[in-house]
Order: sequence, then C-alpha cells, then structure tokens
Amino acid sequence: MIYLAIIVGCILGAILGINAPMISYTYSTYLAIAVVAALDSVFGGISSVLKKNFDLKIFLSGFFVNSILSILLTILGQKLNVDIYLATIFVFISRMFNNLTIIRRYYVEKWSEQLEHLRKIKAETDTNQSNNS
Amino acid sequence: MKKEKIVMAVTIGISAFILVAIIFMQFKVVEKTDRISIDAMTESDLRSELISWREKYDELQLQYQDTLVKIQEYKEEYKSDEETEKLLENELTELKTLLGETNVHGQGIIITINEGNLQNDKINYEDLLYIVNELKAAGAEAISINDNRVINRTGIYTIGTESGFIKIDGKRILAPYIIKAIGNQTYLEGALLGNGGYVDELRKWGFEIQIERNDDVKIDAYSNSLSNKYMK
Repeated sequence: MIYLAIIVGCILGAILGINAPMISYTYSTYLAIAVVAALDSVFGGISSVLKKNFDLKIFLSGFFVNSILSILLTILGQKLNVDIYLATIFVFISRMFNNLTIIRRYYVEKWSEQLEHLRKIKAETDTNQSNNS
Repeated sequence: MKKEKIVMAVTIGISAFILVAIIFMQFKVVEKTDRISIDAMTESDLRSELISWREKYDELQLQYQDTLVKIQEYKEEYKSDEETEKLLENELTELKTLLGETNVHGQGIIITINEGNLQNDKINYEDLLYIVNELKAAGAEAISINDNRVINRTGIYTIGTESGFIKIDGKRILAPYIIKAIGNQTYLEGALLGNGGYVDELRKWGFEIQIERNDDVKIDAYSNSLSNKYMK
C-alpha cells in the first residue's frame, strides 16, 4: 500500500513537474537545495525503517522543515555574501552517505546471511547424502 | 491500525509527489537555461555585468519616470489645447458672422422697391446707399440687396451717367430692388418710415415701396472672396 502511494505520487509529481511553468533561474538554486534536503530526509526515513524506529511525524517534519530551513539559509547566505548553501549541501550529502551506508550494510548483511544459510543447507544435504551412500 | 496505515500511505505519497514535482521542475529549468554561457564567465565577470545591468536598469527606470511625467504634461497640454481650439473656433465663427461670411437668419424686414411705370425717374444708387446707410444706423446686423450681401467693404455705385446700371461689388442689379435687413424690426422700420424717413420721401416721388416684417429673414453669405492686397 505504501509502495503504491509512493509510485502514484511519483508519477503525478513527474507529470506536474513537466507541465509546470518555468521558474526563474534565480530561484532554481533554492529549489535545488530544497530537493537535496528532502532527499536526505527520504534516505533517513528508509534507514530508520530498516532500523525499525521509523516515525511518520519525524519523517514529515524533517522533510519540510529541513527544506524550508535550507532555503532560508541560502537566502541568508546570499544576503551576507557567504555561500552558506555549500555548507548545507555538504551536511546533507554526508548524512545521505551515512544513511546509504546503513542501508547498504543492512542488505549486504542480509544477503551474506542468506548465502551462509544456503551454504549450510547445502552442506547438510551433502553430509546427509554421503551418510546415506 | 488500518487507518494509521492509510494516513501514512497518503502522507508519504504526497511528500513523494512534492519531491518529484520539484525535481522535475528543476530538471526543466536547468535544461532550458543557457548554462554554458553563464558558466564560461568568471564570477567577477558576472558580478561586473550584473552591476552594469543594474545601473542600466536604474537609468532606464529614471528615464521611464521622466517619460511618464512628460506624457502626463503632454496630456494636460493637449487638453488645454483642445479647449483653446474650441474657443478659437467659436471666435472664428463669430468673426465670420460679423464679416458676413456665413448664411444668417433672424427677425428683420424686407423692403421691396418697384420702379413702377415712372419713365422720367428711376431709383439710382444714391437712393440705395441712403437706405442702406439708414438701416445700418438703425442697427441692422446684416443687409442684402437682391441677395447680394452688403458688408463693410461693399460699394454701391453706378457706371457712367445716372441712368446707367447700379452695381454692387461689380454685380449689376436691376429693379425691383429687394432689400433685406436683420435687426430690431421696430427700429429698422422707424428709420425708414415716419417723419423724414427716406422711404416716405421715395413714396412721395411715386415709387411703390412695401416694407414687410418677417420673423425669419434669410440672408446668404458674401459670395466674393475677401482678401487683402495692400493692407498690412
């Protein structure tokens, strides 16, 4: 059900995004930062699902508040003539990699466990066969 | 439990929707923007260009304001011009009427002079001049003799002997003479009739003269063109 919602949302979003009017290039920086922040939240959400401590409220608040905060920080940086958005991107991307690492480790471990399991079964069957013969 | 799941699915779907929409919008912007020319310039180049554009913008903004003010001024001027034009037009028509260059009508009198069967005596130009002069003195605003408008410049004269033709501004006129005048009917009539009035005198000489009051005497415009040759 959740996967279905995600797919439908993605398709509708793509249609809207393609048909939406052009945004000025000036604002595209802000949007990019917001996208990075949201993606960070998404990966954080996935890793928390894997860790089995996923909370919808935390996910949603992270999703929106992080995006808005990063946009505000970018605007502040432009006013102060400091490229704050670089720092935001750095933080978000490093967090994304952390979360990706967690996800990767989880699946690799699962996979290796499965392999181990298979090998064990195979070994058992082998020993059984040798015993039988 | 199920309700919670639905809420979760909907919220996550909405956030996915927003995220993907923004991403695709961003794709579109980046694709459509001419990044190469922007990237090719260094930051200082861009900054100086931005400054110059901003200056240009400010300048143009000032010019725009100036132009707006000017347009406003022109509009006001145009309005006042229109008013003066109307005034001038009124003045012009008034002057033309005064000069006799327009067809006019109004209350007045019509004098018809028949020479009758008198062989030895005819109306001559002096009689007409005299009548016209009396009418003018009585406040006639427009006068015509046989539909020839009498204006300030009009000359009534004769050629040759006294028995010659009477001419008004070069046009020959013949009896019966019909003199139309616009003005106060009583005054006009009083100037010609009554004690010592010229029409009475002429009647004594034996001419048939009718004076008719008319509330709508029509007098045509002066037909020749008025022009100045010597007057400066």
